[in-house]
Amino acid sequence: MLTNLEQLDNGVVWRIPGGIHPPEQKHLSNQTAIGTLPLDEYYYVPVPQVGEQASMAVAVGDHVLKGQPLTHGLNQHHLPVHAPTSGVIKAIEPRPSNHASGLPVNTCVIQADGKDSWVDLQSASLETLSNDDIVARVQAAGVAGMGGAAFPSHIKLSPASDIELVIINAVECEPYITSDDRLMREHADKIISGMEIIHQVLTPQRIIVGIEDNKPEAADALRKALSASKLPAGVARVTVVPTKYPSGGEKQLIQLLTGKEVPSGAIPAQLGILVHNVGTCAAISDAVLQGKPLIERVVTVTGGNVAQPGNYWMPIGTRVDHVLKCCGFNPEADQKVIIGGPMMGYTLPLIQVPVIKGTNCVLVPSSAEMSVDAKELSCIRCTECAQACPASLLPQQLYWHSKSGDYDKASDYNLRDCIECGCCSYVCPSDIPLVEYFRVAKSAIRNANEEKLKSERAKQKFEAKQARLEEEKRQREAKAKEAAERRQSNMSGGDKDAIAAALARVQAKKAVSAATPEAGADRKDKVADAVARAKARKAAQAAQSDSPAPEQNQANDAQKDKVAAAIARAKARKAAMQSDNEAEVDTNQTSAASSQKDKVAAAIARAKAKKEALKQALQAEAPTDSDNKSADEAADTLEPKADDRQARIAAAVARAKAKKAAAKDAGVNDPKGQIPEQNSVDSIAQSDPGELSAEEAKKARVAAAVAKAKAKKAAQQAGDSKSTVEDTQAESAEPKPEVELTAEEAKKARVAAAIAKAKAKKAAQQAGEGQGSDAHMQKQPADVNSAEPDSNSEPADVKPEAEPSAEEAKKARVAAAIAKAKAKKAARQDGEAQRPDNAAPLNDERSEAMSPDTDQSEQAPAQSAEEIKKARIAAAIAKAKAKKAAKDAEDKE
Amino acid sequence: MAFKITSSPHVTKNSQTATVMQRVILCALPGLVVQCVYFGWGSLIQVLLAIAVALVAEAAVMKLRKRAVGVALGDYSAVLTALLLGIAIPPLAPWWVIVIGTLFAIVVVKHLYGGLGNNLFNPAMAAYVLLLIAYPVQMTTWVAPAPAAQYSPDLLASISQIFLPGSGDINLFRLGIDGTTMATPLDTMKTGLSMGLTSTEVLAKPLFDEGLSIGWFWVNMAYLAGGLVMLKLGAIRWQISTGMLAALFICSGIGFMMNPDTHGSPVFHLFSGATMLAAFFIATDPVTAATSNRGRLIFGALIGVLVYVIRQYGGYPDAVAFAVLLANLCAPLIDYYVRPRTYGHRSGN
Ligand code: SF4
Ligand code: SF4
Repeated sequence: MLTNLEQLDNGVVWRIPGGIHPPEQKHLSNQTAIGTLPLDEYYYVPVPQVGEQASMAVAVGDHVLKGQPLTHGLNQHHLPVHAPTSGVIKAIEPRPSNHASGLPVNTCVIQADGKDSWVDLQSASLETLSNDDIVARVQAAGVAGMGGAAFPSHIKLSPASDIELVIINAVECEPYITSDDRLMREHADKIISGMEIIHQVLTPQRIIVGIEDNKPEAADALRKALSASKLPAGVARVTVVPTKYPSGGEKQLIQLLTGKEVPSGAIPAQLGILVHNVGTCAAISDAVLQGKPLIERVVTVTGGNVAQPGNYWMPIGTRVDHVLKCCGFNPEADQKVIIGGPMMGYTLPLIQVPVIKGTNCVLVPSSAEMSVDAKELSCIRCTECAQACPASLLPQQLYWHSKSGDYDKASDYNLRDCIECGCCSYVCPSDIPLVEYFRVAKSAIRNANEEKLKSERAKQKFEAKQARLEEEKRQREAKAKEAAERRQSNMSGGDKDAIAAALARVQAKKAVSAATPEAGADRKDKVADAVARAKARKAAQAAQSDSPAPEQNQANDAQKDKVAAAIARAKARKAAMQSDNEAEVDTNQTSAASSQKDKVAAAIARAKAKKEALKQALQAEAPTDSDNKSADEAADTLEPKADDRQARIAAAVARAKAKKAAAKDAGVNDPKGQIPEQNSVDSIAQSDPGELSAEEAKKARVAAAVAKAKAKKAAQQAGDSKSTVEDTQAESAEPKPEVELTAEEAKKARVAAAIAKAKAKKAAQQAGEGQGSDAHMQKQPADVNSAEPDSNSEPADVKPEAEPSAEEAKKARVAAAIAKAKAKKAARQDGEAQRPDNAAPLNDERSEAMSPDTDQSEQAPAQSAEEIKKARIAAAIAKAKAKKAAKDAEDKE
Repeated sequence: MAFKITSSPHVTKNSQTATVMQRVILCALPGLVVQCVYFGWGSLIQVLLAIAVALVAEAAVMKLRKRAVGVALGDYSAVLTALLLGIAIPPLAPWWVIVIGTLFAIVVVKHLYGGLGNNLFNPAMAAYVLLLIAYPVQMTTWVAPAPAAQYSPDLLASISQIFLPGSGDINLFRLGIDGTTMATPLDTMKTGLSMGLTSTEVLAKPLFDEGLSIGWFWVNMAYLAGGLVMLKLGAIRWQISTGMLAALFICSGIGFMMNPDTHGSPVFHLFSGATMLAAFFIATDPVTAATSNRGRLIFGALIGVLVYVIRQYGGYPDAVAFAVLLANLCAPLIDYYVRPRTYGHRSGN
């Protein structure tokens, strides 16, 4: 892989694009040897990993020795922290962090006892240690990258792939900072010894120290130490690179020394390259050979406003204000305290924060040294920023898109490859804080991605749950079927066709009226689909709030319904992915006439199913005539009391029509459409096309899915950016508690719900036409199910775009009709409980989509005459509500 | 105590938009001086008038847009626009020509497009084109260079000519040859060629000296010098100028080799009209140019080619303004397709 060993050995330095030459200001602090500071009274040692990767090893009140671990690791990512001096643990509590935000982080406060007494350190010699021992010792010592990022070194020392080249970063390209410079001058041997250890662990072909040409003394010291090292000859060398900011960036240094670029989104290890900081090398050496934990580091204290700038050994946890006090800090108005260098460092809001492992510099500049707060001017597109960018980005374009919030475009311009080096801001003649814009944009993008990830995870969780529930449901259904079969034997033939006929008529009527608005424009469809989605969500809620409804649901039925609805939706979504395009085309090609026919067929089929159910229910429970009548009336005021004969005729007509429709459907969709359901026990309904074969049922489900997909897509078009999240919520059937409705909104919502039903049906129908009218069979029950019973527990999230218009009022009326049908459903549900034969053939294929119905059938044995009565009352109520909804719609209008 | 919080980087280079603009303006002055030497005080008067109008217009617009007036005036961009327009129009054009042009440049081209940094077109060139179309006579009546003219307008004459158009006889200052009035050497060349003369014959006219345009050659040389200084100062980058001059040189070279009788020589093209002014001061306007290095080379080359094509085959003698505007139009496209390859990526886009 490393084809350029020779070039490496010759010290070839490649060119990197961009870069700047800010005033170095290194002489301020690199003139004196590394000093030490007097002991502070308190040390603040952050223990941020506690609770995640670690637990506290000490408690408040404990006495600790210098170098004693404060945390226990729980896993491989643990980075231990140690007491920087001997003393007593005074508190373990959140304290402001050494971070631009100053946000509190869990911190261990140690009161120094002034003795600074060490724990016993276990020294070792390199020859006796295995690689695992070395890595373990590095981890135990809590060594982290000391260039700033503080990445745990033991992880870097156990890479997944072979490392061929180790680069020791001694560039220190930031102005002002000289901590590495002084460390190299004074402790070159320690650094080289660290390199030996790294070499032993990783056995790279080469170890190259990259150092800028403004540190000749340090480079000499390293070379000297290197010549005395135990490293095999020719493995290591010091390569001097020209001074230019940001040569010390990991990616830039790799490019400088090897001519290679780390692919975007990858890490250097993928190129077989590892970069360590010189300070880290020294710490590794201490850790492995002396067993000394990383409890102190060299920090540059510099800037125009300290009297004694220089480098100091600082225990980790030393407070910045103590540091500054010791160095003769002389603050001015509007003083900045910068941690790190002037290019990438951050300002501290508070200085009662500790020095941490990645702190290399405390910079307190005078105002003359820093840039004045110039006003941001317009970008003149001078492209100085692009010339300076080491990543060859186009900062002015990134700025343009970041500023306008067009983060997709910004990403398109590779925003994520920005290393936030600040070169662009540095050169911008219009004083635009480009990097700040990029940070904001990056975090916005990050947040968006996290949201996406979260909802993705929720979806997966939901799907797993759904699979489990499905399995449970299947088992229950099998049981219910068994029970129902037993009951079946008690049944005798008889006809209450009047009701069925009435239902059929209503459905047909509804289909016609529903078809009328369907002739409308695409725009309406879109709205409809959006509304349908809202409705779908409501369905979930409705299912949930079903339990208090007058139907004889048991407590867990609500949940079952909910699950069923959710499952149906989930399925639909899955199927939608496959058939989305298809559905679209189909919809466009649909003619109003055919849709109507389909609708009629579906309606009739449903009516049939209902009829059966009712009949069985009535027979099984021997209801009185008046019961029957009231059910009738409740179901449909348009339907006069009918005698048996009339009813039979009506039923016959309805059947004939249904057959015709079914035949048409079948002609398009499935030759088997006319074959009577073989599993059907009911002799009257045997030729009923409503009884679907398994295969049709499957198709029907796909159709429902398509409808759903369309709805979702439309919703997206409607510009709902939160759609994913909302969908997920809808799926898990969790009503959004945070949205509170005013009385008026509730009303609106009700109207919207009614409209939604109509719309959803339409969507289903349109989608279904490509696939078969079966869509109705699926969609309809779900619609009805999701409708009225919950009008007092109105879903909070009905879409605002569902506001009624004149046109929609009409639809609302249609919805009212549907509501009526739903009322009927209440009756039917009663019936279905007794009618396992109907549910049974659907079991496997259809049950998911139709689960509200099949769920009902599950608790068939629980029926009583009284409950049926109750259900009928509920139906009546539902109808009244539907009417009211229609009226509301008109009022609105 | 509370410490000041700022975002990194905490240091910036002390380069300011204003500094950049000032440098450009200063570097254009030698050219203006030479122009005055050859064509009288007219250009200077036009420039001063334009700057005054531009500043007033800029201030008024900023006030209307409720922005800081001082900042806008302080960035010198309006001054630069006015300067370029003042240089570009005929020295003795009536005062209202430059006033209208400047107003158009500042108010319409610059601010109606969103102000500095957002304008699609180079304001000076857009205004120039507007004037050329609206007042073709005034805009093509150029003064003859001093050595070739019988009279050279002095300061007073220039002022009265500009501010009291029609009071004097402008034809006094024109070069009368064969009863026709000639504007610029480019115009002369164009007219001459269209009348069936060969370029050699045209170059034999008194406007030319050893194949070069009198006066114009030195004006161009002055702008070239100013441009080189700007390059040295880092006020502009080399790509656009180089692209334009190279393209013009190559195009005219090819034309000249194919048929020297009907085509001007490369040197003639490079040192006539507004070539150097355009290459260093107009095309390099960063706001309206492409942004990447490669993009700028292409942008410059496009101008060069367009200048040549329009000069040689178009209806207007000098083509800089049209070429620049057309290239401005293409700049976003160039930017979209020509992007530098980001670190760690395989290709540009
Ligand atoms: S901060 Fe980002 S965009 Fe700016 S120069 Fe650095 S890498 Fe380029
Ligand atoms: S340096 Fe500043 S003014 Fe120039 S192009 Fe970049 S962002 Fe715009």
